[in-house]
Amino acid sequence: MRLFLTLAWRNIWRHRRRTFIVILAIGMGLALMMFYDGFVAGFEQAIYANAVKVLGGNIQVHAEGYKAQASQTPLLPMENDQSVVSAAEAQPQVLAASRRINTGGMASNREGAFPVAIIGIEPSKELPVSLVAQRVTQGRFLADDERDVIYIGQGLASAMDVTIGDRITLVGRAAHNQMRRHTMTVAGIYDVGLREIEKRSVYMSLAEAQYLYGLDGQSTEVAISLEQLGQEPIVMEALGPSLNGYEIGSWETNFPEMEAAINSKSAVMDIFSVIIMVIAGIGILNLLLMAVFERTREIGLLGALGLKPGQITTLFLLEGAMMGVVGLLFGIALGLFFNGLLMQVGLDYSKFASITEYTALICGRIYPTWGVEKLFMRSITVLIIAILAAYYPAREAARHEPAEALHFV
Amino acid sequence: MIQLFKIAYRDLGRNRRRSFFSALALGMGLSLLLLMAGVLTGEMRGSMETTILLQSGHLQVRALSYDEDKTSLAWDDLIANPDQVTAQLASLPQVLVATPRLFATGIAAEGDESVGVRVIGIDPTSEANRPYRLGMVSGNFFAADDREGVLLGQTLAEKLNLKTGDEVYLLVNTAGGDIAEQLFTIRGIYSTRTPGFDGSSIFMPLDKAQAITQTNNHASTIFILLKEREQTASVAAALQGNDYQIETWEQTNELILQTEQMANAYIYVLYLIVLAITATVIVNTLVMAVYERTREIGIYAAMGMKGWRIMAMFFAESLLLALGGLVIGLILGGLMTLYATYVGFYIGDMGITGMLFGERIYAYLTMKDVISLSITTFIVSLLAALYPAVLAAQLEPVEALRGGK
Repeated sequence: MRLFLTLAWRNIWRHRRRTFIVILAIGMGLALMMFYDGFVAGFEQAIYANAVKVLGGNIQVHAEGYKAQASQTPLLPMENDQSVVSAAEAQPQVLAASRRINTGGMASNREGAFPVAIIGIEPSKELPVSLVAQRVTQGRFLADDERDVIYIGQGLASAMDVTIGDRITLVGRAAHNQMRRHTMTVAGIYDVGLREIEKRSVYMSLAEAQYLYGLDGQSTEVAISLEQLGQEPIVMEALGPSLNGYEIGSWETNFPEMEAAINSKSAVMDIFSVIIMVIAGIGILNLLLMAVFERTREIGLLGALGLKPGQITTLFLLEGAMMGVVGLLFGIALGLFFNGLLMQVGLDYSKFASITEYTALICGRIYPTWGVEKLFMRSITVLIIAILAAYYPAREAARHEPAEALHFV
Repeated sequence: MIQLFKIAYRDLGRNRRRSFFSALALGMGLSLLLLMAGVLTGEMRGSMETTILLQSGHLQVRALSYDEDKTSLAWDDLIANPDQVTAQLASLPQVLVATPRLFATGIAAEGDESVGVRVIGIDPTSEANRPYRLGMVSGNFFAADDREGVLLGQTLAEKLNLKTGDEVYLLVNTAGGDIAEQLFTIRGIYSTRTPGFDGSSIFMPLDKAQAITQTNNHASTIFILLKEREQTASVAAALQGNDYQIETWEQTNELILQTEQMANAYIYVLYLIVLAITATVIVNTLVMAVYERTREIGIYAAMGMKGWRIMAMFFAESLLLALGGLVIGLILGGLMTLYATYVGFYIGDMGITGMLFGERIYAYLTMKDVISLSITTFIVSLLAALYPAVLAAQLEPVEALRGGK
């Protein structure tokens, strides 16, 4: 085998120029895929990082059955939310675990009406970890058990043309099939620079939400803040056994539409990448066909020396695979270089914030990652196509009759 | 000249397999480009057409202070006596249909669940409702004097688990900034095959919508469809200067146009890469041909053939190869695009509400794209032949005769 590898390696470099062109094609194809993967990952990261930062909590715990209706924010109280909080706080990575009530509603005044998410929070617990709480621009943040006041974002304040002390009508869904309407006073306004998100949420104290929406002493969510992004899987794993009968999820599970969108675009891109690689593979095929023809006498010699047809096939397959590997390495280098450049610049996506609920979380530019998320799968694809492309010429080579091939001029 | 092509043709024939595979690579490249162009154009065009038909119309007439993002219902922000204004607009020769509509923000609730919705008051008799009438999946369209009936989109009905005949609790904002609530009966369920629209729109007869929102005889907008989209600018110009704001479909759908621009920019990068990869295959094939025929080229040169003629020979080869590739590409790409045009791709619900996309994307390939992409591919493959052709022309006759190196 050693010998075959050496032989194949030397053979592919006999015509540097040709080999290099084939490698260029494979490399460009792979770099393109890495750019796409890096961009998608950057897009997801930007959204999730902002979701954690702005909407709060790296991990959310809900009562069972919540996920299935997540887009309607069901009012499903948790059986024993205090035990969830203490279980979470026992984990070393957890900064804070706070109870919340999420419900759907609408804020209205004479300026118009806006669908909003109504979020009941524990102010004293959220203050140290919540960006929303810290970025007060007018008035003040909420206090524990405070009644009849809300805390809104600059986006909603400008849209409704309200300021501190103004009153707006808030309707929210309460438990037991009821809607609850209440007039509330604006206590404070925050600014996190994400107007679309600010426009879609209203904060009040947990006590107020419990009273308004008929969940005495209960809550629908425990939001867990961690020291760092990326610790989610460890903490979720650790929490799993102690929180039986609850649904534990990070932000990824909260945007099912985004997953769907990314998955279907990625499926198209996967097909696309295979076609591109096949085109590059034709380069390998042609090159090896030519090589078989050029090396007819040599193949005859190998045959005369006692190499079996199978071994000759292997030699050519190895050459194809090697070109694939070198192309792969070149492509990775190219892709890393390209994504590294883009990381400095970023891509402006701010215009598209209002398209969906999840893109509202993008502020300004998106920075791609290195694009290595799917590299393993992409590499395997490249190798398989390279070997398949080499198969036909390899069979061709093995078919030569040694004696005839030796006489070939 | 003819002789040149004859030689080129025969040279290609000397290595049929290789020539075929090179043309195939080129053809695959071209067909990929055609498919990409077709899908992108189809996606954006479909989105624009859907949006115009369902939501924006070609033109909208609104009160000067109306702000689409706020769905205000204050009387100052609305059009008074909409019927009168509509009648005037409908009498214009370019106008296909004009109808008043009222928009309110609301919540639809059923059991423990609720969804934010957009309540749209429509004139049930108007022709502009055609897409909703045609899309009725169950029940019937309501009558103008229906005081308790609403129509729900299929996506919304599924979210709330409702069917025709069920009751749904609706809350909507009112002119005074307050909120009104009432129980409605679902007369029917429609589907426009656009999840972003069907998931959030509830229809109500205009009279009832005005009553519940306390906007007596006012409308948010007059929705206008023209006979020809191209007439939009001229009609808008003619209407300008009144006491209303006139919004064209380009203004209301700026986001779609921006998205299209961005997508086009991205797709040019993709084109470039696909073409570059395709070009490498051509370069390689011809470089190999040059090496293979080094002695032959030496003989030509020794016989007195000029460098440019040798170059021309290789160009002719590349030209034929490119033509073959074009034919393969047009057939392959044509078939793929045809499939995508008539069967389409299912994309489902991506949560996109800021723009309307159907649940299926259908390709739409314009002649302009076919011609420009074919020409581009052709030119790129000729450019790719430049390097091998120069290589051939530069061979020293004496050395080449010996087999060169």
